[in-house]
Amino acid sequence: MQQQMAQQAQFAQIPDPVKNFIVHFHKAVKENNLAEISAAYESGWNRFTEKFYAKTEWPEAEIIAPLVNDDNIFLILYRELYYRHVYSRLQPNIDDRFHSYENSCELFNYLLNSEGPVTLQLPEQWLWDIIDEFIYQYQVFCTWRSKIKSKNDDELALLEEGGGVWSSYSVLNVLYSLIQKSKINEYIEATKAGKSAEELAEVVGPYGQQPLYRMLGYFSIIGLLRVHVLLGDFTLALKVMDNVELNQKSPFTRVTACHVATYYYVGFCYMMLRRYPDAIRTFVAILNFIMRMRQYHTRSYQYDQISKTADRMYALFAICNALSPSRLDDNIANVSKERYGEQIGKMTRGSKEALPAFEELFLYACPKFINANSPPYDDPPALAQVLADAEAAGGSVDPARRQLNLFLADVVAQQSTPTLRSFLKLYTSLGTAKLANFLDVDEEEMIQEMMVMKQCSRSVSRVGTETGGLLDGTMISTSDLNFVIGDNMVHIAEQTVGRRFAGWFIKNTERTQRIFDDLKNTPLPAPPAAKAGQPVVSEPVAQRPAGGKPKVAWAAAKA
Amino acid sequence: MTSTWDCPTTRPEHIDTLVQGVDRYNPSNIGILEDYLYQQTRNQEYDCLANLAILKLYQFNPDLYNPDVVINILIKALTASPLPDFNLCIALLEDRSPNLQLDEPDPLPTILPLLQSLHDLLYRCRFPKFWEVYRSDDLKVLRENYTVEYVGFDDAVRNVAIRAVKSTFTRIGIERLASYLALDNASTVAFAQKTGWSLNEDNTVANIPPNPDNQIEATVVQENIKLPQLTKIIAHAAKA
Repeated sequence: MQQQMAQQAQFAQIPDPVKNFIVHFHKAVKENNLAEISAAYESGWNRFTEKFYAKTEWPEAEIIAPLVNDDNIFLILYRELYYRHVYSRLQPNIDDRFHSYENSCELFNYLLNSEGPVTLQLPEQWLWDIIDEFIYQYQVFCTWRSKIKSKNDDELALLEEGGGVWSSYSVLNVLYSLIQKSKINEYIEATKAGKSAEELAEVVGPYGQQPLYRMLGYFSIIGLLRVHVLLGDFTLALKVMDNVELNQKSPFTRVTACHVATYYYVGFCYMMLRRYPDAIRTFVAILNFIMRMRQYHTRSYQYDQISKTADRMYALFAICNALSPSRLDDNIANVSKERYGEQIGKMTRGSKEALPAFEELFLYACPKFINANSPPYDDPPALAQVLADAEAAGGSVDPARRQLNLFLADVVAQQSTPTLRSFLKLYTSLGTAKLANFLDVDEEEMIQEMMVMKQCSRSVSRVGTETGGLLDGTMISTSDLNFVIGDNMVHIAEQTVGRRFAGWFIKNTERTQRIFDDLKNTPLPAPPAAKAGQPVVSEPVAQRPAGGKPKVAWAAAKA
Repeated sequence: MTSTWDCPTTRPEHIDTLVQGVDRYNPSNIGILEDYLYQQTRNQEYDCLANLAILKLYQFNPDLYNPDVVINILIKALTASPLPDFNLCIALLEDRSPNLQLDEPDPLPTILPLLQSLHDLLYRCRFPKFWEVYRSDDLKVLRENYTVEYVGFDDAVRNVAIRAVKSTFTRIGIERLASYLALDNASTVAFAQKTGWSLNEDNTVANIPPNPDNQIEATVVQENIKLPQLTKIIAHAAKA
C-alpha cells in the first residue's frame, strides 16, 4: 500500500510534457511507425533529457507503466534507454549494472525465443545502439569487476552470487544467436551471388526477411569484431568479418556510428597483426569519410563520440605511419601532424624519447581491453590472495598494459632502422665494413640489424587482393628504400615518386569550371540607355548578337 | 599471412569445421584441439588459428588450463617468426587465478620469460645469439622437457634464419651462414644445397636464387589517376 502511494507520488511528479512524450512514443512503437519512432528516439528523448533529466534518472519503468498500459515490450525498450542514460550521464551503481544486464537479456530473449519472428520494428540507428550499448556495458562491467580493492561489502556479496552476470560466454551467446537466427552470413553470401528476391527469402527464412533481425544480425557481426578485440583476439576479430565487405557501400555504413566503429576496430587489428599498410589504408578511408561528413553531422547527438574516435584514429595513424612510412594521403597525414606533431617527431627520430611517445599514443588510442574472467569473488580466500599478489606486484596487470608491452616489443625491435636508413639513402653501394664503421657498431651485429630492416619493410597486405577475407593478403614491399647484400657489399636502390601533376590540374580545372559557371550565370550588364546627346558606342556590346541570350554567346565562344 | 596461414593444407576437415564454427567455444572439444597440437609437433605441421582456438578456450574456461599445452603452442609460434603469431598467442594469456588446482607447480611463469627472450632474439634476427642462449644451461629445462618433443625444432629455427637471409642477401659467406644456422661448415653447405642454393667452387660462398625480396631496382612511381578523382570534372562537362 505504502509502495503504491510512493509510486503515485512519483508519477505525479513527472512533468506533463514528459508524460505526453512517453504516451506518444509508445503509440509510435505500437504502430511500428518508423518515422515517429525515429523522431522520438533521436530528438525527443534527448530534448527531454536536457530539459528535465540532465542530472537525474528518468522515471523508472514501473512508474510510467500506467501510461503505456503496462506494455511489457515497450517497458523493456524504455528501460534500455533508461539504463543507457544512467551509464552515459550518471554513475551506475551495482543494481543498475545487474538490472541493465537482466533487461538486455529480457529484450534478446523476446527477440530470439518468441514463437516465430516478432513484428516489432525499430530504426536502424536504434538497433545499432542496442548492440553497441550491450557491449559497452559488458566492457564497463568487466573493468569495474576487475578492481577488487574498491568494492564494499554489499557489492562483494552480490558479486559472489552473481557470477553469470555479464559473463563473456553470455555476451558471445547473444551475438552468435542473433547472427544465426537472422542467417545474416547466408544472406550476404546469397546477395553477393546475385540471387533473386525470392531466392533470398528462401535462404534467410522467416527471421532473416525481417529488417529488424537482418540488421541486428549485421550489427552483431560488428559487435563480435569489437568483443574479440577487447579480449585481445585480433585474428578471430577479423575472421568473423569474413563475409562483410569493407567498403562505403556496405549496409553497415548506413549507421554512421557503426561505420566508424567498424573501421576503428579493423584498423586496430591490422596494427596488432603488424600489417601497418592495411591499418593505414583503413584509417585513411574512414578519416576521409568523417572529414567529408563533418559539414552535415555536427549537430547529431553522436557527433562527439565520432569525433573522439576520429582523434584516436589520427593517433593510431601516426603510430602506423611512424613504423611504416607511406604517402598514401597527405591530407590525413597533415591533420595527424597538426594534432600529434610532437609525438610524431619523437617516434620517427628513433631516439630515447620514441618509446614513451609510442606508449602515450597507444594508451590514448587503444580500445578498452578487458579480462575475460572475473576475479574469484565466489572464493574469498582466493580473492584475498589475488589482492595480496597484486599489491606485491605493485598493482594488478591492466589488460591494456599487456597489449601495450607486446606492441612496444615490436617497436623496440625495429628501433635502429631509421638511423640505418638515413645512411643507406646516401649511397648506391657500400661495403658492410665501411657502413659499420660509420655507425660505430660491430659489423656482424649490423648485418643482422639489416635483416631486421628488410623484414620490417615487408608486410602482408590486402592491396591487390581486395576480394578475400580481411585476413587474406600477399607479401608486399612497404619501403621506398630497397637494398640487398651480396657478400660484403650493400647495394641500394631507391624508389622515387615522380612529380604529381594530377591534383594541381584537377584543382585548377575545377576552379576554372566554377569561374566559368559564375560568369555564365552573371546577367550581362544592361546596355546603358542611350540618352540624347550621349551616344554610346561600346564595342563589346556592339559585337554581341542582337537579342542573343548570354548562353548562346558563350557557347559560341567556346566552340 | 597468406591463405595457407589462415587455413593450412594439413588441417583435417573436422578441425576446420571446429575452428570455423561456433563449436570452437565448446569446452568439451578441447581434447580434439590438444590432440591436433601434438600431431603438429610430431609431424612438423603448423596451424596457428587452431592453436589460438585452444588458448581462447583456456581464456574462457580457466579450469581447462594446461601449462604444457600453452608452452608447446608458444614454441610452435616461435618458429613462425617474423609473423606475429607468438605475440598473438601471448595476447590471449590472462593472469591465472590462484585457486587453480594443478597437480604440479605451474611451469609457465618460469618458462614464459625464457620463451619471450628467445622470440625477441629471433624477431631481431640475432641468430648466433639465439643459439648461444638456447643451448645454455639456463634453458636446459626448456630443451629437456619441451623442445625435445618438437620434431625438427632446430631445423624450424634454421628456416627462420633462411627466410631472413633469403630476402636480404644475394650471396652470403658460408661462415656467416654457419653462425646463423649453428652448424659446422660442411653441414651448412649441405643445408644450403638442400634449400636449393648453389655454392661457389671452393664452397665458401652460397648464392641465393633471385626472389622478389632480393631483387632491387630503382624505380620512379608515376601517379595513377583514378576515375573518382575526375567525377566532378566529367559531371560538369556532361552538364555543360
